[in-house]
Amino acid sequence: MDLSRRDFLKISGVATGGLFLPSGTALATGAYSYPLHKPIGETPTICCFCGVGCGAIVAAQDGLVVNLEGDPDHPINRGSLCSKGMALAQLNTVDGKPNPKRLTKPMYRAPGSDTWQEKDWGWTISEIAKRVKATRDENFIAQDDQGRTVNRLEAIASFGGAALDSEECALLVKALRSMGLVYIEHQARI
Amino acid sequence: MTNHWCDLQNSDCILIIGSNAAENHPISFKWVTKAMEENGATLISVDPRLTRSSSKADIYAAMRSGTDIAFVGGMIRWVLKDMEQNPGRYNMTYVREYTNAAFLIDPEFKGAPDLDGKFSGFSPGDADPNFGKYDKSTWTWQKDQNGIPLKDPTLQDPNCVFQLLKKQFERYDPETVCGVTGTDLEIYLQVCETYAHRSGPRGRSGTIMYAMGTTQHTHGTQNIRSYSILQLLLGNIGVAGGGINALRGEANVQGSTDHCLLYHILPGYLAPPNAAQPMLQDHLDAKLAGFATFDPKSASWWLNYPKYFVSLLKSWYGDNATEANDFGYEWLPKLNPGTNYSHIPLFEAMAKGDIKGLFCWGQNPAVGGPNSNAERGALKNLDWLVSVDLWETETGAFWQDPAAGGAAGIQTEVFALPAAAAYEKEGSVVNSGRWSQWRWQAVDALGEALPDLDIIKELMVELVDLYEKDGGAVPDPITKLRWKGWYDANPLPRGADSLVDLVSREINGWAETTIKNDDGSVRYDEGKLMGTFGHLMADGSTSSSNWLYTQSYNETDGNRQKWRDNVDYHPAGIGLYSKWSWCWPINRRIIYNRASVDLDGNPWDEEDFVIRWTGPEGNWEGDVPDGGWAPMNMEGTRYPFIMKPEGFAHIFGPGRTDGPFPEHYEPMESPLNPHPFSGTQNNPAITIWRPDEFGTPDEYPIVATTYRVTEHWQAGAMTRNMPWLVELMPEMFIEMSVELAAELGINNAEVVTIESKRGSIQAAAIITKRFKPFTIMGKTVHQIGMPWHWGFKGLSVGDSANKLTPHVGDANTTIPEYKAFLVRVKKGGVE
Amino acid sequence: MSRAVLVDLTRCIGCRSCQVACKSWNDNPAEQTKCLGAYDNPPSFSADTWTVVQFNEVEQADRLQWVFAKRQCMHCEHPGCVAVCTVGALTKTPEGPVVYEASRCIGCRYCQYGCPFGVPSFEWDKPLGLIRKCTFCVDRAEEGYETACVKACPTDALTMGTRHEMISEAHRRINARPHKYHGHIYGEKEAGGTSWLYISPVPFEELGFPMLDGEPMDYASSVIMNATPVTLAAAVGVLSGLYWLTKKKSQAAEEEG
Repeated sequence: MDLSRRDFLKISGVATGGLFLPSGTALATGAYSYPLHKPIGETPTICCFCGVGCGAIVAAQDGLVVNLEGDPDHPINRGSLCSKGMALAQLNTVDGKPNPKRLTKPMYRAPGSDTWQEKDWGWTISEIAKRVKATRDENFIAQDDQGRTVNRLEAIASFGGAALDSEECALLVKALRSMGLVYIEHQARI
Repeated sequence: MTNHWCDLQNSDCILIIGSNAAENHPISFKWVTKAMEENGATLISVDPRLTRSSSKADIYAAMRSGTDIAFVGGMIRWVLKDMEQNPGRYNMTYVREYTNAAFLIDPEFKGAPDLDGKFSGFSPGDADPNFGKYDKSTWTWQKDQNGIPLKDPTLQDPNCVFQLLKKQFERYDPETVCGVTGTDLEIYLQVCETYAHRSGPRGRSGTIMYAMGTTQHTHGTQNIRSYSILQLLLGNIGVAGGGINALRGEANVQGSTDHCLLYHILPGYLAPPNAAQPMLQDHLDAKLAGFATFDPKSASWWLNYPKYFVSLLKSWYGDNATEANDFGYEWLPKLNPGTNYSHIPLFEAMAKGDIKGLFCWGQNPAVGGPNSNAERGALKNLDWLVSVDLWETETGAFWQDPAAGGAAGIQTEVFALPAAAAYEKEGSVVNSGRWSQWRWQAVDALGEALPDLDIIKELMVELVDLYEKDGGAVPDPITKLRWKGWYDANPLPRGADSLVDLVSREINGWAETTIKNDDGSVRYDEGKLMGTFGHLMADGSTSSSNWLYTQSYNETDGNRQKWRDNVDYHPAGIGLYSKWSWCWPINRRIIYNRASVDLDGNPWDEEDFVIRWTGPEGNWEGDVPDGGWAPMNMEGTRYPFIMKPEGFAHIFGPGRTDGPFPEHYEPMESPLNPHPFSGTQNNPAITIWRPDEFGTPDEYPIVATTYRVTEHWQAGAMTRNMPWLVELMPEMFIEMSVELAAELGINNAEVVTIESKRGSIQAAAIITKRFKPFTIMGKTVHQIGMPWHWGFKGLSVGDSANKLTPHVGDANTTIPEYKAFLVRVKKGGVE
Repeated sequence: MSRAVLVDLTRCIGCRSCQVACKSWNDNPAEQTKCLGAYDNPPSFSADTWTVVQFNEVEQADRLQWVFAKRQCMHCEHPGCVAVCTVGALTKTPEGPVVYEASRCIGCRYCQYGCPFGVPSFEWDKPLGLIRKCTFCVDRAEEGYETACVKACPTDALTMGTRHEMISEAHRRINARPHKYHGHIYGEKEAGGTSWLYISPVPFEELGFPMLDGEPMDYASSVIMNATPVTLAAAVGVLSGLYWLTKKKSQAAEEEG
C-alpha cells in the first residue's frame, strides 16, 4: 500500500478522463491516523436486482453483514453500484441487527384465520406435499376428451423464478413439469 | 441482449426507446457515458416524459405511450427514402445478403395498405368481429423447384420484401406520425436523420436499448419487430456497439427464461409437447418440419432439436428414460393445442375456480399483475397457496388486504416459507448479456430461512415418497424422476460436492454411457461432463438439462461460471471479457456476429471488429463465431442467421400471429379513435377476456402509464423493506404536467385520486415540467405516469398502480398492456 | 498535497447511490421521510444524512434540463467552521478533509453559523448532541480507498484526485466538449477554494448553489462570530434540551399507543 500511496497520481486514471478510476485508488495521507472502522468486504456476489449483473463484495461478522459495496474487479460495474445495489446489505442487516421484516420461520395461515402461526419445516413440507398430492390426484387429466394421453394438471399453478438462481430454476421446472403442471409462469411474462 | 453491457461503449449512436436505462439499469450508463465521451456517440431518448435517461440525451423526443410503431415505422420510411437517394450512406450488401429483403413473397399476400390495417387471411371472431385470427398461409415466400427461396438481388421486384416494406410504411409520413405520437416534427426529423446517419454507414453502429416500455402493449412484439427491422436496414445486428438489446429487469430473469419457467417452452427454448403429439417421434417430426431447409448453405441450427430434447428427457428421468419407453416422453404433460396458459388466462382460470393450488417463488402477483383488484379477488378461490419469499408479500398476505373485506370469509390455507437471500446461498445468475455469473455465500441465512433449492428438493422428495407409498393418479411422472436417491444421496453422485454443484453439472450435462468416436477411441467416459452441445446425442447416451448451457461446466475448465479473469483478450479490445464468467451459447458474447463481416470475412468495422477471417489458410479471430464456417464467398459456408431455417434475418416475419410487418394500432384504451393509419383501431389478433372493463376517452380522457424508479424494485417486496431505499422514495406518487395540475387545481405534493374503469387509487402528486401535454391530431391530450412498486405490506405502504391496468395482452406473448391505458384524475384522496 | 473530488453534473444520472453509500459506510440509519412533490429526499442534511442529491428542473432557451447535484461538506480550503470552533474540534487536515473530533466538541453549534453551505448538522435528538457531517471518508483514504460515494458512482460523475489535478481535469473536460458545459468551475475560487469542485451544464445559480466570492470563509466567519451575541450558545443548549424532551415524550406516546 505504501507504494500505491506515493504513486497515486499515476494510477488515478485522471489522464484518461477519469472514467474507470481503478477502485482502491490510494490517496496520500499524513500525520493523522484514521484506521478503517470496519472491513470492506471479501466475498463476491452478484446484485440481486436488475439484469445488469453487477458484482458486489460482502463483509460479514457474527452472522450479519457489516459492509457491502461494488466489486472493483467486476468488468461491468467496476466497483460502482446504483442506490439499490448499495443498499443490498439491508436485505440481511438493518442498523446492526437482522432485518426485522424478514421471514425467519415457516408460517401457516389456517382457513378463515386472521393470523399466522409459526411452524417447523418438517410439518410445513409434509403438509404442502399432502396438499399437492390431494389436488393432483383429484384433478389430474390423464386423457383429454378425445382420449389422448396428456398427463397434465391444470388445477395447480406456479409463479416465479426470476429471483431464483439458475440451478433453482432448473430444479423447479423439472419438479413442476413432473407434477403435470402447465400453468407455469414467471416475471418474464409480466 | 444480442450484445452485452460493456459493448455499449462501442456504439456510435444509442437509441433508448421503451426503456429508462439510467433509472432502471443505472450501471448501463457507465458504458453509455463512455460511448458519448470517448467514442463521440450521440444519445437519443424517446419517452412520454423526460426521464433520468432523457436528462443525459443529446436529443429527447416526447412520444405518447403506445405509439412506437408509428414512431419507428416513420423512421423506417425515412431510411428507405434516404437509401434511394443516398445508397452510399448505407450498407446495402448487408441488407441484400444477410436479411430476407430480397425474398419474393407469395403474390397472394396482401398487406395493411391493401386491407385497411389488416393482413391477408384474417377471419373475425364470433364475439367481436374486430378481433379474430389469421390464417398465415399467404405470409410466405416463393420457392424454386428445389425448395430454395426465390430472391431479387436488385431489390426492385414489387413482390420482394424490400418493396413490400416500402409499401407498408409509405403511409407513415412524418406529419402523420407526429400527429399520432405527439412528437415535435422538427425533433422527430432530427431523430430520423441522426440515427440513420450516425449508425447506417458501413463501419458505424447504433444500438437500441429497450425494456418493458416496449413489450407491455397489445402490440409489444411488433414494437420490437419494428426496432429489429430498423436495425437490419442499418446493418446494426451482429456488430460491436449494435444489436437489439432488451434490458432485463431481474437478476436472473434471463436464466429463468432460459430454464423456461413459462408455459410455452421447455429448458433451452424447446417446445412442450401437445396433445396432438402422442409419441416422441410425432413431436420431433412436427418440430423438424418447421426447421427444414433445402438450401445447402443454410445451417438451420434447430435441426439439432432431437439431440437437445432427448438429452433433456435423460436428464430428468435418468436410467428410467430408455429408447423403449420413448425416453419417458409419455410422462411429460401435453398442452392442449391452442390453449393459452399464460399469466392473464391463468388468473382468469383462477377467477372461475379452476385453479386450486398456487406456488409463488419470489413473485408477488398481487402487486405486479394487471388488474390487481380482479387478480386479488381470484386468489380467494384457492384452496391453498404457498409463498416462498424473503418477506411477507401482498400475495402471501392477500387475506389481510384492507380491501379484501375481512379474513374470516377467505378459506385459503396459506404457507409462507422463508427463503434465503442472494448472498446467503450460492449459485449462478444470468445477466441481460447472457453472462452466467456465480455468486458465493457471504453469510448464513437469517433464522430458519433456506435456499429455494433445498425447499424444492425437500418438497419433491416428500412427494415422491407419498406416491411411492400410497400410489395415486398416474404416479410414474413423479416416481420415475431422477430425484429421490439422487439429490438427497450421500455422498452426492457424479463427484458433486454440494447440491448446487450437482445441479450445475446436470445443467451442463454428461455422458450417460461411454461414448466412442468412429475409430473406436473413447470420446467420453460414462459420467464425464460434456464439452459442447455439439456432442449431445439423440440416442440417450447424453444428458443435459439445458443444451444452451453445455460447456458452462466441463472437464477441462471446471465451472466456468466462477471465472473471474477480467482481462479483455479480444484482439480489437472491444471489451468482451471472455474469461469473466461464461456466456451462452458457447461463450459467444455478441450473437449473429458473422453478419459483422463482408462476404470475404473482412469486418465492416476494421477498428472495432467482432470477428475477422485471418486469410486463406486461416480461421476466425475474435469472438466465438456464430458457427465456424468460412466466409460467404468461400466453399462450405453457411448464412449468418443460423437459427432461421433459411439462414436470413427476418425483415418479413411470418412467424408472428399478428402480421409479417408491424402495423400501428392504438392501445386498447386510447384517446384517439379513429387513427389516421387505417380503420383497424386495435391489434386484431389479441384475445379479449373482459370486454366490459375498458374505459373510453369521454369518461377517462387522460393517458396513463406505469414505470419503475431507481430506488425501488419491481413489486416492491424487497425494497419497501429496506429503510435506506424507503427513505429515498417513501411514498406512492403520480407525476403530471404543470398544465394538467393547473386545469385540475392540484397543488404539488397533495393527495390525488386516479381512476380507471377497473379501480381507483390515491397517490401524492409530483407536478413537473418533465411531462408536457401532447397535441394529438390537433387536440390536446394529457398523459400522467406513476410507479407500480407499492402495496399494503412492508415498511412503506401505498396503493398499487396495477389496480388501474387492464387484463389484456400482446397478440403473441400475452404480456399485459401496462404501459398505455386511460384514467381520470381528481383532487383529494379516494372517498 | 490536498485531495479533492470533481463532481461532473453532466455525468450524474441522479441514481443517488452516493447517498446510500454514505449511509452504508458510515452506518447511518434511514430517516422517516415523505413525498414532498419532488424526488429529493431527505430534503436536507441532518445528523444522519451527510449528503443529498438535489433534482433541479432547469428551463433554458426553450430546453428543459433535469440536473442532479450531489451536495455534501465542501471541505473548504479555509473552512469557516474550523475558524469559529473555539475548542479545536474541527480541523482542516493538510490532505484536504475537514475532520471532526467528537471528544473535543461542546455542542455550541457555532460551526453551523460559520458554514455558508449549511453542512454541519446537530444531533437534536440527543441530550448531549454532537455535530455530524461528511468526513471525506477519512478512514478509507487512510487505507488507500476512494470515499464510499466516489467509489459507488456508476458514471464516474465523482472523480477523486489532488485538487490541482481535479482543476486541470475540469478544464480539460470543458475544453473537450464546450457545448456540454457552462464554463465555470464551482469551488475553484468560491469561499477561498473548496476540496469539492463542480462543473455543470447550467449556471450554478440555477441549482441553488450559494453565490460566494473568493473571500476565504475562515476570515468571513470570524467577522460573523464577532458579531454574534455570546448568549447564543446558552440559548442553543436550552433549545436542544427542549427538543430532546419533546421527542422522548412523543416516542413514549407512540410506544404506548
